[in-house]
Amino acid sequence: MVIYRDEYRLYDFGPNHPFSPVRLEMLTSLLEALGVWREPLAPPEATREEVLSVHSERLVRRVEAASRGERVPDLEHYGLGTSDTPVFPGMDRAARLLVGGTLEGARRILAGEKRVLQLGGGLHHAQYDRASGFCVYSDLSVAIRHLTRAGLRVVYLDIDVHHGDGVQWIHYEEKEVLTLSLHESGRYLFPGTGHVHEIGRGEGVGRKLNLPLEPFTEDESYLEVFEALVPWALEAFQPDVLVVQAGADAHFLDPLADLLLTTRAYARLFPLILQYAEAYAGGRVLFTLGGGYSLDATVRVWALLYHVFHGLPLPERLPEGWLRTWEARLGKPLTPTLHDPEGAYPGIPRKGEIEKRNRLTLERLTELVRPYLLD
Amino acid sequence: MLVKDVMHHPVFTVGPEVSLEDAYRLLLEKGIRHLPVVEGGKVVGIITDRDIRLATSHLNPKGPCPGCTQVAEVMTRGVVTAHPLDPVEEAARVMRERKIGSLPVLEDGALVGIVTGIDLLDALLKLTGVTEPSGRLEVRLPDRVGELARLTGFLAGRGVNIHSLLSYPENGDYVRAVVRVNTLETHLLAEGLRGQGFEVLWPPKKPW
Repeated sequence: MVIYRDEYRLYDFGPNHPFSPVRLEMLTSLLEALGVWREPLAPPEATREEVLSVHSERLVRRVEAASRGERVPDLEHYGLGTSDTPVFPGMDRAARLLVGGTLEGARRILAGEKRVLQLGGGLHHAQYDRASGFCVYSDLSVAIRHLTRAGLRVVYLDIDVHHGDGVQWIHYEEKEVLTLSLHESGRYLFPGTGHVHEIGRGEGVGRKLNLPLEPFTEDESYLEVFEALVPWALEAFQPDVLVVQAGADAHFLDPLADLLLTTRAYARLFPLILQYAEAYAGGRVLFTLGGGYSLDATVRVWALLYHVFHGLPLPERLPEGWLRTWEARLGKPLTPTLHDPEGAYPGIPRKGEIEKRNRLTLERLTELVRPYLLD
Repeated sequence: MLVKDVMHHPVFTVGPEVSLEDAYRLLLEKGIRHLPVVEGGKVVGIITDRDIRLATSHLNPKGPCPGCTQVAEVMTRGVVTAHPLDPVEEAARVMRERKIGSLPVLEDGALVGIVTGIDLLDALLKLTGVTEPSGRLEVRLPDRVGELARLTGFLAGRGVNIHSLLSYPENGDYVRAVVRVNTLETHLLAEGLRGQGFEVLWPPKKPW
């Protein structure tokens, strides 16, 4: 089941902001042009109370006031009105629309649906008490809380290139939520957290996993550590459902980060995730979108996700008409095939060293959490 | 950052007449390595787990006797101390130069705290750590008046807040500045900085 409504595109920080609603417009028009787009389920927007299940009243009040164009003196303290997360009219409702979609996904899972793809959301930086990094409200945490309140054990898997800090901190002391984030090391990249030693607190200890990867990590090394870590953690934790933040910004074309995944890695990752969901989570999986700031790459990665999700054969070339329309609108060429061309970026001289470092990080992580996960 | 911000207090101490066995038991119990020795309210020495282990081992020419040896026989006299208002880096320099693991902290002759190598590591973590969601820029600046101001001025002009800034000299003529800023878009900032003639070391320019 796919969840989407056009109003998701109201979540718009302005024409020069990277978290652009154009991504959704491009994606849905591409899927239409490919003839695979089916009418999605239009979710209701989340209510204020639903948002308050994971956010503070004082944050919500400020988002609402800023939404109405009121002047709020301490906005910045709440991560709002910054260059990353500026305020805009109607921001509160726009954010609640995205939360509503992911939450609806959780409801559908509880009602017996196995696979849900929410074509939006994935706002993994939003914290209990502050907006951060393009993220106002955490659609992910609202959905996760809805699932845990119904008694489900949740694994949150985050393949966005940035650490899923917001989701991690909100559930940091919860034992029924295992968070697992693979990201470019916070030593170099926003938000700066996501070290292996962040493993949870109290009842949540050993259930927050972080695999920070070296800048310039490529497909092979990423898949190697992913395939070693994810099934291991899932088997140990035995979740009832998988919530996946499928940010596309680990792609090599992404302008904000430094990992070097190609579409070939994603074409392997998405089927693997479905396979893991079958093997370890009763087949239940809820995907959201996330970061992804190269329009060209992001749209292809998410189109790939859509096809894998539905078990459709992958198209090779993208439709000519669609390409022409969007190249004209964006004023730049687009990759004409779903996959990246071979050898799209030059060889990385430190490749061997990077692979070794990633393996070592994986070892450290598993050593740290093994005593808690396998007790 | 001052010594009073990183020191531990209250301090566990022993008297000079205490046996090595009892002193060692106290170290183990409290999970510490250093005990200032206090007599009549004054610090007269310091004894460490290493001092005790050496004194009670077969390497001691007089032979081991933990129960019958007193702290006063083994302790280091002429203790090097710090003041609560000393800067942390001053404490670090003294410990580094003397190769010692801790400094009792005295104020008007009274023992008010102790600072150890571990506390200095905590200080380092605090100075270099990430306390706010932020991205990282690393810039090599010519070592001359106004360069850092030019960098911070550029960031202010872009509406970017600086969460932390660490700088250290490099090869005499340069200063390396590591800045944590409240934005995901460090690549964009780096591009802008390069346009202004800055040498940005991180994030790197992508060749594709």
